[in-house]
Amino acid sequence: MTSANSDAEIPERVIELRLPSRLGYEKVAMDAASSLAKRMGFNGERIEALRTALAEAVTNAIEHGNAHDSAMKVLVMLTVRPDELSVTVADQGRKQLDQDQTTLTPSLEETFEKQDKGGWGIWLIRELMDEVEFSTGPSGGNQVRMVIHLEK
Amino acid sequence: MSTPAQQPSIELYFPSELGYEKVARDAVAAFARRVGFEQERIEDLKTALGEACINAIEHGNAQAPGLRIAVSCVCEDERLTVEIQDDGLKHYNGHHVPVPIESKLRGLAPLRGMGLMMISALVDEAGFTDSPTGGNVFRLALYRRRPVAAQ
Repeated sequence: MTSANSDAEIPERVIELRLPSRLGYEKVAMDAASSLAKRMGFNGERIEALRTALAEAVTNAIEHGNAHDSAMKVLVMLTVRPDELSVTVADQGRKQLDQDQTTLTPSLEETFEKQDKGGWGIWLIRELMDEVEFSTGPSGGNQVRMVIHLEK
Repeated sequence: MSTPAQQPSIELYFPSELGYEKVARDAVAAFARRVGFEQERIEDLKTALGEACINAIEHGNAQAPGLRIAVSCVCEDERLTVEIQDDGLKHYNGHHVPVPIESKLRGLAPLRGMGLMMISALVDEAGFTDSPTGGNVFRLALYRRRPVAAQ
């Protein structure tokens, strides 16, 4: 039987990273995550997918959530479990993400017409990761949790 | 809408377990690249940081489970500083005398234990510094241009 004490033995490891809200620093999160994912045994293709999804999530946090205010931090939590890597990106919520935006699929036709080709980040994150969940963090910031499963 | 120019900085916390220092090395290397350091210097910084983190895991935190190591980086104009902090279960006493390399090569002493010497050779500043919380804080710094005195 598992005792209550064994809760302390949950094989979970957390790496926490705080970044300034300036473009370019998303690379720090991408390199930390790929280093960790490689160590966990993910293949190159999955690692590239993770890098892309994380780049989108962190640049969203910098540009939108923290509105380029470099004094505001982006918090990235990497949680290692035996069969998955969970990545949470949280901003300080200078601007709240419209929850409707988190489920829309942008239209290709409209994007062709528009000057601004942006707006595909969230869709891309959903395409690339196994689990994606948008929420509002305890202090009111935007938060996205992305999980990739380790297939053995 | 311009905020005063700030010194870019990052903070990283990782489990005090061998292997995780690689994640810290890669994160700090990406930071150093972003603030414009050359790849060659970054390689030296990575090696020095890896050693410093291993010291923190093995000695400062005495390999106790459940602890973390904190790494912070800040870049001022010409200087990149990295601080590695542990919980100080064991304190660095500063009286460690390195064993001569000859003894190590002849198998008379363990091969490990050259970390601090190697770190000093790789970066422009290295040493323990005061800690407000009681753990060991080891500081590394890299200058964009090597100090003239180093030649």
